[in-house]
Amino acid sequence: MNNMVSLDKVAPQQTSEKAKIEIKNLNFYYGESKALKNITLSLPERSVTAFIGPSGCGKSTLLRVLNRIYELYPKQRAEGEVLVDGQNILDRNQDLNLLRTKVGMVFQKPTPFPMSIYENISFGIKLYETLSKSEMDERVEAALRRAALWNEVKDKLNASGLSLSGGQQQRLCIARTVAVKPEIILLDEPASALDPLSTAKIEELIDELRADYTIVIVTHNMQQAARVSRQTAFMYLGELVEFDETAKIFTSPREKRTQDYVTGRFG
Amino acid sequence: MASTHMLTAFDEELQYLTRRISEMGGLAEQMCSDAVRALVNSDSALAQKVISDDVILDGAEREIQEKAIITIARRQPVAADLREVVGSLRIAADLERVGDLGKNTAKRVIAVQGTGVPRKLARGLEHLSDLALVQLKDVLDVYVSRSAEKAEVIRLRDEEIDAMYTSLFRELLTYMMEDPRNITTCTHLLFCAKNIERIGDHATNIAETIYYMTTGAQLEGERPKDDSSNTVGAAGR
Repeated sequence: MNNMVSLDKVAPQQTSEKAKIEIKNLNFYYGESKALKNITLSLPERSVTAFIGPSGCGKSTLLRVLNRIYELYPKQRAEGEVLVDGQNILDRNQDLNLLRTKVGMVFQKPTPFPMSIYENISFGIKLYETLSKSEMDERVEAALRRAALWNEVKDKLNASGLSLSGGQQQRLCIARTVAVKPEIILLDEPASALDPLSTAKIEELIDELRADYTIVIVTHNMQQAARVSRQTAFMYLGELVEFDETAKIFTSPREKRTQDYVTGRFG
Repeated sequence: MASTHMLTAFDEELQYLTRRISEMGGLAEQMCSDAVRALVNSDSALAQKVISDDVILDGAEREIQEKAIITIARRQPVAADLREVVGSLRIAADLERVGDLGKNTAKRVIAVQGTGVPRKLARGLEHLSDLALVQLKDVLDVYVSRSAEKAEVIRLRDEEIDAMYTSLFRELLTYMMEDPRNITTCTHLLFCAKNIERIGDHATNIAETIYYMTTGAQLEGERPKDDSSNTVGAAGR
């Protein structure tokens, strides 16, 4: 059988590329119940990684470990190592505020603050930096441009963030995230509440942002994962079943469970 | 497919493609065998039937294409499903070509009718056609069983057809050299032999497609070839 492309030879990539995030033997508990089982995974820098899997598989939990947002809730704990640029962020001495400027997050439902569009962006910046009015204006404009929202809101920066449409609100949240200059952006089902056109805009935006940021996206929409990501992790019942190039996952996955899930043969 | 989709309609669409491909295969096989029979028996009525059957085969390919395209648009198949749909398109195209080769052979029946086909050559053509049709029949069986191993075996077996074709080629040249009055008939028979040899090539293509559909990997490298007719000189060497 030496005249065929061996499946074994197409091993998961990430060999030559620099890993931005390295997850090692990660276990996660909600009280007594174990939600993540011994996850080991390495995410390359400036690239989009998608986590897919059925509800309850642990993909959102894994995302929430990456900026330790789970600490807001009692009885949730993570064991193992998550290295960001070689530094273990699960370390007790990790400064959480610093971590969350480095690792931004956008949620499923748009969550603009009940304040003006301008203040939605400047609010986060003010927490970390003291800028003059003109410097702040520049930063707000840059963030809104980065999120492809500037042209739609430049004439109404003082209008409430809540007056925007759902898709615009979500891009406002992305602008808010980008404004504090993170290195990693976590997206938890960012387009699931949006219509196809707004979804396309968000996907286009992800495509542009990946040149500068390491992006991790959780999505239920398989086609979305296929469209936006370069590598895909399939999870099931708290385990990482398969991690590979997205093209491979969606044409000839190695594991039967992955195949069953992506082709809609599950459950 | 071992397991079934949550969407029954999707399963039905894939089953439709599989069924139509098998039907096309059966018809293409019949056409080729009829064409060779018509040739050796100078049966122009049978030849005519082959020519009209080709319309049905072309129609089937169009329907498979349309259905496959609609399935891609509606279901956005991935992984094994995607390979299944793409494979159907490729196999349907190969079978349509096989039908064309049968039709072309049938058309030549009328041209050689006046002179008849020498007994020895007829046996050679029948033998070549038997080999090619076994190849086609076996590959259609593999399409149903989806055995990657058997697909690989069939792909390697094409060698025998190539060797037989080369020997027939030599024989036809000899006849032409013996008596220039044979040239017209022998040229037609040469095209018929080439047509039959091409059927074997399409069967090989189909075997490669089935291998890809089943495993997701492409068979690489040149398969062994024993068709040396392209180097046979006028001296009959």
